[in-house]
Formats: sequence, structure tokens, C-alpha cells
Amino acid sequence: MKVTAVGEKRRGLGLLAGVVIAAFGLGLAAAVLYAAVGCDLNDPDRDVKRLFPDSTGYKTLYVSISKKGGDALLKQIEARLGDPFSGLFETADVPYTMYEIYKGADLVGYIHGVNQKGTYGGLQVFLALDLKGVIKGFYYQKLTSKAAKAFREPGFGAQFVGLSLEDFYKYDVVSGAEEPPGPVSRIKNPDPASEKDFRATLRAAKKNLILADEFLLGNPHLKFFKS
Amino acid sequence: MKKISVFEVAYKNLLRKKTRSLLTVLGIAMAAWVLVSLFGFNRGYEASLNKDIDNLGFQMLVVAKGCPYEAATLMLKGGTGLKYMNEDIVKAVAGEPEVEGVTPMLMQVVFDPNKGESGGLAAFLGVDPVSFPKMKSALPFKTGGWFEEPEAAEAVFGYEVAELEQREVGDLYLIPEKEVEVKVVGILERTGTQDDGTIFLPIRTVQRIFGLRELTSIGVKVRKDADMKAFEDKLYKLPDVQVVSLSQVKTTIMTLVSTARVMVFSIALIAILIAMMGVVNTVLMSVMERRQEIGILKSMGAMAGDVFKLVWLETIILCLGGGLIGTGLALLTARLTDLLVRNLLPYSPSGGLVAIDAGLVLMALGVVTAIGLASGIYPSWKAARMRPLDTIRSEVES
Repeated sequence: MKVTAVGEKRRGLGLLAGVVIAAFGLGLAAAVLYAAVGCDLNDPDRDVKRLFPDSTGYKTLYVSISKKGGDALLKQIEARLGDPFSGLFETADVPYTMYEIYKGADLVGYIHGVNQKGTYGGLQVFLALDLKGVIKGFYYQKLTSKAAKAFREPGFGAQFVGLSLEDFYKYDVVSGAEEPPGPVSRIKNPDPASEKDFRATLRAAKKNLILADEFLLGNPHLKFFKS
Repeated sequence: MKKISVFEVAYKNLLRKKTRSLLTVLGIAMAAWVLVSLFGFNRGYEASLNKDIDNLGFQMLVVAKGCPYEAATLMLKGGTGLKYMNEDIVKAVAGEPEVEGVTPMLMQVVFDPNKGESGGLAAFLGVDPVSFPKMKSALPFKTGGWFEEPEAAEAVFGYEVAELEQREVGDLYLIPEKEVEVKVVGILERTGTQDDGTIFLPIRTVQRIFGLRELTSIGVKVRKDADMKAFEDKLYKLPDVQVVSLSQVKTTIMTLVSTARVMVFSIALIAILIAMMGVVNTVLMSVMERRQEIGILKSMGAMAGDVFKLVWLETIILCLGGGLIGTGLALLTARLTDLLVRNLLPYSPSGGLVAIDAGLVLMALGVVTAIGLASGIYPSWKAARMRPLDTIRSEVES
């Protein structure tokens, strides 16, 4: 009788294990470990306050190139970037999450992040912008790189502050050169061995500014673009 | 002179009271709708659940004792809290006659300080390059394929993790904490399961990188003719292991679902009974209103059987019409029902939840026709046994 009772208890535990592992197996793990595919702020309440300390609220906008202008817009954005979108995960269908930041009833700025392919993994580069599209803050939400620590140093991100799309238009994301040398060339790579990740960061920043110009600002920087 | 069939007479009789006939048909249609949708759900849910379980590739998981808390441990402590078991258990399990195949697995979780503001977890599943792909043959690849070498520094990415890491076949990936590079050789299609968020590596590679020789679990594919319960009891005799049978999980889920299903079936039964009463009421009322007409028919030579047949046919037309409309509605709204049920259930499998096929439609029409036949007996019998003189006289007196 005792043996049976133990067997039943074991089966009960097995069932409990089953339910837990089934939940685990059927999606819980995916939800916990990789909940936010795309480029949302992980904790908007905290992150908005950190990037805009005076803000009192924010509004979230969801946009995509395919919904706003389809292939024609994609081609236009690629031309402005100076590099075609590439790969499985950089397409016109990618949903972009943009944050409008408010102080009281006044709009005071924007936050927007993009995914960018790095040497060893995805980079998520967020920019805090003022109403004219000038960078107020730079933030890696995710970074897989051997030089991650150096890239995350506050001094590196600070080099982006004050720049706008007007500056980035002169920077060629393919060659990594700026003609004539300007403020983007002055951004210092913290680890020369990780040049690919450094260039990926600059490409992410330029892509980010173009998308913000297109979706948030109404393209005020388009006049500076020379194809 | 054109000869009118009994069917035409019955049909025209129903048209004389259009609204009443229509409402009766709608009552039957509702009952048929509920019936088909419910049976469709019953079939669809179980089929999808079976498919999900089959897609897992194995019906049993042998894990180190203590693993019921694995999910919570992973979240709270990362890889440090995992329970391990000896590799010898693989041989012991594989030697059992009930076993068709086994696949050893080693899960490792590391803390990635560069994921988000305060870091995050990255999970790696070490799998055997020979047995795992065979067992998970249903896993579709978007690009590339499985690694082939047992100790290759290669990885297969689930869809979501590949999207998050922006990895493609041929790219490198750096395992956090260990700073070890692996090459991506395959990216899976989106499956809606944990595989979407998993990075698969050869098991020997994971053991080498993390300095382990143990396993966290063994997937066991059991022969179809095996007695699962007896086999499970046998596995419990192995030291320090816990057995997770997916058939148990399926039974648990099906028990939860069937509780709700019994309630809904009861409601469907009540709906059918109400519809039946509606049919009896409608046809009986129609018979009573046509007493004189039935009397005249009989005085002109119609036999009791002819009258019975006529009234019975009216009932069957009503029910069959309702049945056709109801099954049509069920087919048209299957997707909507699927969405609705999916939102209501705590867990839904990945496939379609409502499966309506020709067999189910024919069965529903058969049930509705049987209801029609049963509901029509009393009014038809009542009409058939009317005496012509009594019916004509009653009309004159009234």
C-alpha cells in the first residue's frame, strides 16, 4: 500500500512537472527570454525618465515603412541611408516603435531605437531627439560585442550629442568615410579591433535619424540630402 | 393536368405561414450551428494538441529530480540552479524495449550583462546532432540546416532569437560570459513554441564550453504499441530522475478543456431540445389550423398514411432547411469561433482549433434529420387519425 502511495505521489509530481514543463515548452521560456523582438524600450517608464528627466509622460507610436509608403518609401530611405536594407530581418515590414515625450501638455522630444546587425549579434541603438531632430542622448539597449564595455562607456555615447541628420548625411555608411571630414568623423572608436561594431553603430544612428525624420519630424532634413 | 408531388404540397403548406416557418428554421439552424461548431472544436483542438505534442518529437522527457521547478529556477537563478543527471542514464533508457529512440539534451543559461539596462538571460540547448534532428524532423528551416559534427562550434537559431540577434547563416555569435564564437549554420522558421527563442548547439560543444559531462534531460520517443503507463513506472525505478510524460500533460489539458466542453454540450443539448419543441409546436399548430383541409383530403380518398407522410415531410423540410443553414453558418464562422475560443482558453495549441469536414457536416445533417423525424411523429400521427366528418363539422360549428 505504501509503495502505491509513493507511486501516486510520484505520478502527481510528474504531472506537476509535466504541466510546468509543458508551459515552459509551449512558449513561456520564449516569452521570458525573448519577449520583445523588435525595438521597444524594455522599460519605457524608467528609460523615458532617464533620457528625458523633466518629462511627465509619453505617447507610443507604431509605424512601418510598408504601411506608410511601401517599396517606394523603402527605396527612398535606402537612398538616404546610402546602403540598401539587407538580410532577413531588415525589411520594410519591420515595426518601429517611436516615443513622443511630453512635459505636461507640451511635446518636448522623441525617443526611437533600431536594430542593427553587429559582428556577433544584434545591436539596439536608441536616440533621444529634440523637436528639431538633434541628438540629446544615445543609448545601447542591447549590444553583443567583444568591446561591449568600451562602447557602453558614457563618453562614447556623449560624442553623438548635438549631431543631427544633416551631419550624418555626409557620412558614408558603406566606406565609413565622411567627405569633407566633419563631426561624425570626430566620433572616436573606443576599440579599434571592433571596427565593424563601431561602423554598425554609426549606421544604426544614421538609420535611426532618417526614420525619425520620416515618421516623426515630417522630413525637415530631406533638403540636406544629396543623392 | 400537372401532377403535384407530396413534397411540393408540403413545401407550399410551409410557405403559407412564412414567418412562422422561417422562425422555426432559424431555431433549428442555431442548434445545428452550435452542434457543428462544438464538434468541430472537439476535433480541431485535440488534433492540434496532438500535432503540437508530435512536433515536440518525443512523448516523454526524463529529467533530473527537482526539475518541476526548473522553469522558475531558470528565471530566478539562471544556469546555476539547473539539476543534472549522469550520461549513463541515456544507455539505460535506450535499452528498454518500449523505446524507439532517445536524445540527450543539456540546457545552459548564462547572464548577458549587455542585454538591456540590467542584463538578461541567454539560453542554449545542447542537442545530439544525430538523434535530435531525426526526432524533431517536423522543425522547418528558414535557411541552412542542422550542424553535423558532434563538437562543431556551430549553432542553429530559433526564428525570434535570430531576429533579435540579427543573425543569418554564416554569421558569428558570441556566447556571453564564455566569450566563445560559434558560427550560425541554420535558422528555423517561426514555430510558436520555445524553439523560436532557443539557440541550439551540439551537445558536446555545450559540455566543452561549460565544462560539464552531465545532461539536463533526455527526450524519449516511445513505440506506438508500448504501454506508456507501465513504461513510465519502469523509468521511475531509475535513480534520481523524474519522468514527464506528454501523454499526461495532454490528458491534463484535455480534462481541463472537457470540463468546459461538458457545459457547452449541455447548452447545445438544451438548444436542440428547444428547437425540437419549436418544430413540434409549429407543425402541430399548422395541423390544427388545417383540420378542415385534412378532413377534405381524407374524404377525397387520402389514406391516413398519405396525411402522415405529408405532415412528416413538412417537419423534415423544416429541420433539413435549418440544418443546412446552421452548418453553413458554422463553416462561415469557423475562423471567428477559433479566435473567440482562443481568447477564452488559458492554453490553445498552435493549429486550427475548429476542424469542420464533410463527415461532420453530414453527421450534423443526419442528427437534424433524425430530430425532424422524431419531432414530426406526434403531429403527423395526430393529423393522420383525424376523422373527415368530425373535422368538417367542427369547422361549420365554429
